[in-house]
Amino acid sequence: MDSPPSFEDQLSALLPRLRRFAHALSRNPADADDLTQSAIERALLSKTQWQAGTRLDSWCYRIMRNLWIDTVRAQTRRTAREAPEEEGMSVGEDPRDAMDASVDLKRILTAMERLPDEQREIVALILIEGFGYREVSEMLDLPIGTVSSRLVRGRTALLAMVGEL
Amino acid sequence: MITADEKFFAWLDGELPPEEAARVEAEVAANPELTRLAEQHRAMQARLKGAFDPIVDAPVPERLRQAIRPTTTDVIDFAAAKRARDTRNWGSLPQWAAMAATLAIGVFVGTMVPHRGSAPVEVQGGKLYAASALNGALDKQLASTPADDVRIGMTFRDQSGAVCRTFTQAQSSGLACRDDGRWQLRGLFAAPEGQGGSYRMAAGMDPNLATLVDSTIAGEPFDAAAEKQAKDRGWK
Repeated sequence: MDSPPSFEDQLSALLPRLRRFAHALSRNPADADDLTQSAIERALLSKTQWQAGTRLDSWCYRIMRNLWIDTVRAQTRRTAREAPEEEGMSVGEDPRDAMDASVDLKRILTAMERLPDEQREIVALILIEGFGYREVSEMLDLPIGTVSSRLVRGRTALLAMVGEL
Repeated sequence: MITADEKFFAWLDGELPPEEAARVEAEVAANPELTRLAEQHRAMQARLKGAFDPIVDAPVPERLRQAIRPTTTDVIDFAAAKRARDTRNWGSLPQWAAMAATLAIGVFVGTMVPHRGSAPVEVQGGKLYAASALNGALDKQLASTPADDVRIGMTFRDQSGAVCRTFTQAQSSGLACRDDGRWQLRGLFAAPEGQGGSYRMAAGMDPNLATLVDSTIAGEPFDAAAEKQAKDRGWK
């Protein structure tokens, strides 16, 4: 008889998707992989709080999103005190570097970076990760109407930026 | 006639029940502007996915794989650790003494204690408390505070409701919880040979500490706001 996949096996299988979400949230690849690592560590630590039979992916996305919010707040406090960092100084591991980084890819990434955080996370979860409105509303503890209206604002702003960039 | 409102986008995302979806679809089909807008948004989503989907197929960096299955240290089985804790119940001994017995931290603590005044720990009434710089960091620092000698990790409540915090110093890491207005050490772990200093600070949580946290924590770790609030209330 096959035993059910372990928590760690399931987490491993989720890793590529979690990483994609981290890259959509973060403004640079180094931050994205740091965020992914923190989320994995937190998920392992909180393992006993995950209820078997519920969706592990939603649970992990939620952990990652909350860590990201914490980091964003800390960075906001820090950058308010310090001089702004030069853009493009960070060297990270972007898996897309190996590909021909087309103008179009740059446009999309720049447009995503410019979205307000609360719109970017919802655009990422629904348009990239493929979650439903209801799932995202539960994951982020937001009313479904808020999810829906932020998504409209986010994707409308994206379309306008991608069109003009 | 409808405009490009939330219902239009809900239709676009397949979120409407079939009947309503059919109605919106017909309205969009009859309206060239909305038809064009729907096409633009579909194309934009395709480009968005085109930009991020390659990450799913890209090789995952080794350090992320390692975070799930550390190959250099023993893999910790949290569930097994919890079972061991539940069956053994170290209640009768001071917890750090029980930890010392099983995890051999006693020697390490011993080398720290004699240097009174600057030592990071002191013993009182058979209990081990944080002192000097460590005590100050536990009292004042947030996890987001840039680390000097002591870096604060997680903050959470234990099963008795006391606030607990993990910390990392150059040569050790540990867990301290509030006890009568002081930080009582629940565990202190020496950095493995050759893993002192900055490497350790960046290497993530000591597996022994992670196990201890897992057996101590009640609920979720504090987020930044809860951590700040707990600090403002004097860690009560």
